[in-house]
Amino acid sequence: MDETNTTVDTTLADQKRRTLLKGTAGILAAGMFPAIHAQEKIVLRYLGTAVNQDKAIAEKFKADTGIEIQYVAVTTDDVTKRAVTAPNSFDLIDTEYFSLKKIVPTGNLKGIDTKRIKNSGKITSLFTTGEVAGKKVGDQGTAPKKVIYLEGEKSKVFAKSPTQFMSLIPTVYNADTLGIRPDLIKRPIDSWAELLNPEFKGKAAILNIPSIGIMDAAMVVEAKGIYKYPDKGNMTKKEIDLTIKTLIEAKKAGQFRALWKDFNESVNLMASGEVVIQSMWSPAVTAVRTKGIACTFQPLKEGYRAWAAGFGVPKTVTGKKADGVYEFINWFLDGWAGAYLNRQGYYSAVLETAKSKMEAYEWAYWMEGKPATQDIKSPNGDVLAKTGATRDGGSYETRMGGIACWNALMDENEYMVKKWNEFVAA
Amino acid sequence: MSNKKYAPKRASGYLPLLAIFVLFVIFLYGPMITIFILSFQGTDGGLTFPLRGISLHWFGKLAEGLGVVDIAAALKRSLLLGLVVMLITVAFSVLAGLAFRKKLCGGNALFYVTVASLIMPSIIVSLGIGLQFRLLDNGMKYVLEAFGATSMLESFGTSLGMFTSALGAHLTWTLPFGLLIMFAVFNRFNRAYEEAAADLGATPWQTFRFVVFPLIAPSVVGIGMFGFTLSWDEIARTSQAIGDVNTLPLELQGLTTTVTNPAIYALGTLTTLVSFVVMGVTIAAAMWLARKRK
Amino acid sequence: MNQKPLSISANWQATPYALVFLLLFLIPLALILMVSFWNFNDYEIIPAFTLRNYIAIFDGCGSLNEYGDVCVTFKTYFATLRMSFLVWLVTLLLGFSVAYFLAFHVRSANVQTLLFVLCTIPFWTSNVIRMISWIPLLGRNGLVNQALVGAGVVDKPIEWLLFSEFSVVLAFVHLFTMFMIVPIFNSMMRIDRSLLEAANDAGASAWQTLWNVIVPLSRTGVIIGSIFVITMVMGDFVTVGVMGGQQIASVGKIIQVQTSALQLPLAAANAVILLLVALMIIWGLTRLVDIRREL
Repeated sequence: MDETNTTVDTTLADQKRRTLLKGTAGILAAGMFPAIHAQEKIVLRYLGTAVNQDKAIAEKFKADTGIEIQYVAVTTDDVTKRAVTAPNSFDLIDTEYFSLKKIVPTGNLKGIDTKRIKNSGKITSLFTTGEVAGKKVGDQGTAPKKVIYLEGEKSKVFAKSPTQFMSLIPTVYNADTLGIRPDLIKRPIDSWAELLNPEFKGKAAILNIPSIGIMDAAMVVEAKGIYKYPDKGNMTKKEIDLTIKTLIEAKKAGQFRALWKDFNESVNLMASGEVVIQSMWSPAVTAVRTKGIACTFQPLKEGYRAWAAGFGVPKTVTGKKADGVYEFINWFLDGWAGAYLNRQGYYSAVLETAKSKMEAYEWAYWMEGKPATQDIKSPNGDVLAKTGATRDGGSYETRMGGIACWNALMDENEYMVKKWNEFVAA
Repeated sequence: MSNKKYAPKRASGYLPLLAIFVLFVIFLYGPMITIFILSFQGTDGGLTFPLRGISLHWFGKLAEGLGVVDIAAALKRSLLLGLVVMLITVAFSVLAGLAFRKKLCGGNALFYVTVASLIMPSIIVSLGIGLQFRLLDNGMKYVLEAFGATSMLESFGTSLGMFTSALGAHLTWTLPFGLLIMFAVFNRFNRAYEEAAADLGATPWQTFRFVVFPLIAPSVVGIGMFGFTLSWDEIARTSQAIGDVNTLPLELQGLTTTVTNPAIYALGTLTTLVSFVVMGVTIAAAMWLARKRK
Repeated sequence: MNQKPLSISANWQATPYALVFLLLFLIPLALILMVSFWNFNDYEIIPAFTLRNYIAIFDGCGSLNEYGDVCVTFKTYFATLRMSFLVWLVTLLLGFSVAYFLAFHVRSANVQTLLFVLCTIPFWTSNVIRMISWIPLLGRNGLVNQALVGAGVVDKPIEWLLFSEFSVVLAFVHLFTMFMIVPIFNSMMRIDRSLLEAANDAGASAWQTLWNVIVPLSRTGVIIGSIFVITMVMGDFVTVGVMGGQQIASVGKIIQVQTSALQLPLAAANAVILLLVALMIIWGLTRLVDIRREL
C-alpha cells in the first residue's frame, strides 16, 4: 500500500511540474513558431517506390477528404533503408512484406489497429490465411500471412495467429514469372529452366537484388532437376552455395547479357532486344507492350514467385497526422484505388470493393481471365489489350493459386549477400 | 611532326590537337545527341531505337506532367540548392586556397581530410550524415519532450533537410574540387604582385580585391560552374541525407522506376536547350558588359 | 607584413572550409568508423565491439577457391585498381591533349571560356537520363552499331560495346576527362610564355619543349587531376553498375549491395579499407609531386 501511495504522489508531483513546464514551453514555442499553431492543413508524406505512387490517387484522395499526399519516391532498396535509418522522414510507408523482417524488429513501425480500418475483415484470404478460393498456396519464403500480424501495437514480434494489429495493410501484390520476347524466341517456353538454357546465351538477364534474384535462381535449379529445396525462401548455407555455383557457371559461360536492378532497366533490355528472356515484373511487361513490342509474361509449370506490398505507419506519427493516415488507408481500401490498381494489372487487397468500382467487362478480363469483350484500357487511356485478348496467366485464382514461393529475407541473408557478391565478381 | 621554327602565334601540333578536341566534344555530346533524336520518337516508340516515326508527342506528355513527380518543383529546388552550393563552394574554397598559400597550422591534416572526402564512397558519407542527423533529431525530441512542448513535438519531423544535411552532403563533395582546383590556380602564382601592392600601402583586402582576384577571376568562375554541375547531378550523397523532399536527380531516378517512355528524353532535351539559352544569354551579357567597360 | 598575423589570418581563412568538413565529414566518418567495429544482425546494429566485419572481408583470402581464383575481396580490389589505372591513363592522355590545345592554341580568353562551357553543357542533362541513353547509343541496335554495320565495317553488331569493361571505361572517360582538363589547363595557364620562346630559341624541338618544359611545369595540374579521377573511379558504383550490366565487380558496387541489404557495419568496414587503400595511392602521388609546395 505504502509503495503505491508514493508512486501516486510522485506521479502527481510529476504531472504538476510537467504542466508548469508545458506552460512555459508553450509560451516559448508560440513566440518562436507562431506558424505551426496556425497551420491546420494535414500533409502526409508517403514514402515508397514510384510504381505505386500515382498522381490520380493523390488527387482523388484530396478531392474526397482535403488531405494532401506528398509523394516521396525512392528506389526499392531505399524504402527499406529509410524506414530503418530515417523513420522521421515519412508519415506513411509503402513497402514490401519481405522487408518487414528488417523493419519491424527496429520498432520504427507501429501496429495498425484493424478496429479503425473499416474493411479490414474483407482483406483477401491470401494475406490472412494464405489461401486462394479455399486452397492453400505456396508459402515458401516470407509469405504475408507469416508477418502480417503483430502481437501488439508497439510489438516488435510477429504474431503466430491473427491479432488486432497488422504490420502492413496490403495495397498491391502480384505473382512474377519470366518475361519473354515471343517474336525473337519463336517457340513455346514453359519452364524456369529456360532462363539458363544455352540457346539464349548472351540474351538472358536476371534481377540483381540479391534476395529476389536468388529466388529466381532457385526456381531454375529446381526446374532443371538439380536439387529440390525444402524452403527456397530460407536456404541453408549449402543450398546457397549450390545456387550461386549454378549462377556463376552460367555467367562464366556468357549466359547473361546483363543483370538488372531498376524497373526501367528491365524494360529497356527487353524493348531494345538486348535480352529475350529474363525475370520480370508485370508492369514492366505492360510497359514493353505499350511500345508495340511483343512481350509475354509467361506462365510456367513450376509456378510463380509472388510479392506483396502494403502500408505501414511509423511510430513517430501521432495525433492529427495519425488520424489522417488512418483516413487514407480506409479510403484506399474503399474501392476506387483498388479498381485503379487492378486496371494496371496488379491485384488489390479488398476485391469486393474494387469490383464495385470496375465495369463488368473489365472485371471479367482482369480478374476472371475471360477474353476481353471490348478494348481494355489503362487508367490513363492507353489500350493495353484488344477485344478478344486474354490476360497472361488467366484468372486471379489460377494465377494466385500458382504461387510457388514469396519474396523473402533468409536467416542466412548475410551469407547469401556475400555469395551474391561473389557471383557479381565472377 | 615537322620541327618548324617556333612561331609565337601558334604552338606546334595545331591540327592533330584540334582534331582530338573536336572528336572529344563529339564524344561528350554522343549521349546527348541520342537523347535529342529519341525525344522526337513517334507515339508508339520506346526509349531505344528504332525510331517509330517522328513526333512532338513526348514533349506534349512532358507538358502534361510526368506521373506523380512534380518536375517543376524539383527543378526549382535543385536549382536553388545548386546555386547556394555554388556560392558557398566558391567563397570557402577561395578563402581556403588563400590560407594554404600561407603558413597554416593543420594544413596537412586538412588536405588529407579533403582527399578522404573525395575517396569515401558517397553512399557511405550519406549514411553517416543521415545517422548523425538522426542522433540530432533524437536529441531535439528529447529536449522538446523535456519541455513538454507536445504540439511542437508533433510537428517536428526531422532536422534532415535541403539546407541542412543535403547542403552539407553536397559541400563535402564540391569543396574538395574547389580547393584542389585553387591549388592548380595558385600554383606558381607570382607573389611579386601582392608584395608590390603591399609595398604601395594596400591593405590585404585591397590587395586581394584589386590585384589577386582579377587574376584568378576566370578560374573562380570555373570553380563555380564545377560546384553547380556537381551539385546538380548528385545522387548518392544526397540519397540518405535529403530528408523528406527530393532533388531533381533523385526524383528522376524514382521516375525511371515507372516512366519508361521517351518523355524522359524530352525532358533531357528541354533541360539542355534551357542551359544553352541561359549560357548564351550570360555570355552575351558578359561580353556586352566588358565592351561597355572599355 | 610580418609572418605571424599572416598565419593567424590564414587560420581564419581556412576556418569555414574546415568547419564544413569537421561537422559534415569527420563526425559522420567517425560514426562510420565506430559502426565498422560493431556487430549487426538482419535489422539492427549492435553496439558491441567486434572484428568480425574485417575478418569477414578477408575470409578465405589465404588460399585459392574452387575455381582457382583469389578471394572476392582481392579480386574486386584488383579489378577496381585495374579499372582506375585504365581510366586514369586514358583521361590523362586525352585531358592533357585537350588542355594543351585550350591553353596554347586558343589564345583568346573569351574563346577559352566559350569552349569550356561547350564542354560543360552535356553534364547539365541529368546523369540519370544520360545513363539510359547509352543503350540506344551502344546497344545491339544502337546508333554506333547501325553506323558500323551500315558502313560495312562489321557484318553483325558488336556485342562488347555495351555491358562490358570497355563500356565502363568509356563512360568513365566521358564523365571524368573534364576533371583532368580543368586542373591541367589551370597549371598550363601559369606557364610563362617567354619560357617557351626561350626553349625554342635555344633550339629545342617541339617534343623537347613539351617534355622538358611544359610537362614538368604542369605536373601539379596532372597530379590534381589524377587525384580526382582515381578517387572517383575507386568509389563509384553507379557507372560500373549501369555500364557493366551489373556484372562487373567494383569495391563501390560491393559496398552498395551491402548497404542495400542493410549490412551497414560490413559496408562501413569495406569503406574504411577502401579509404585506406586510396589514401595510400594519393599519398604516393603527393610524394611524387608536392602539390602544395608551389602555392
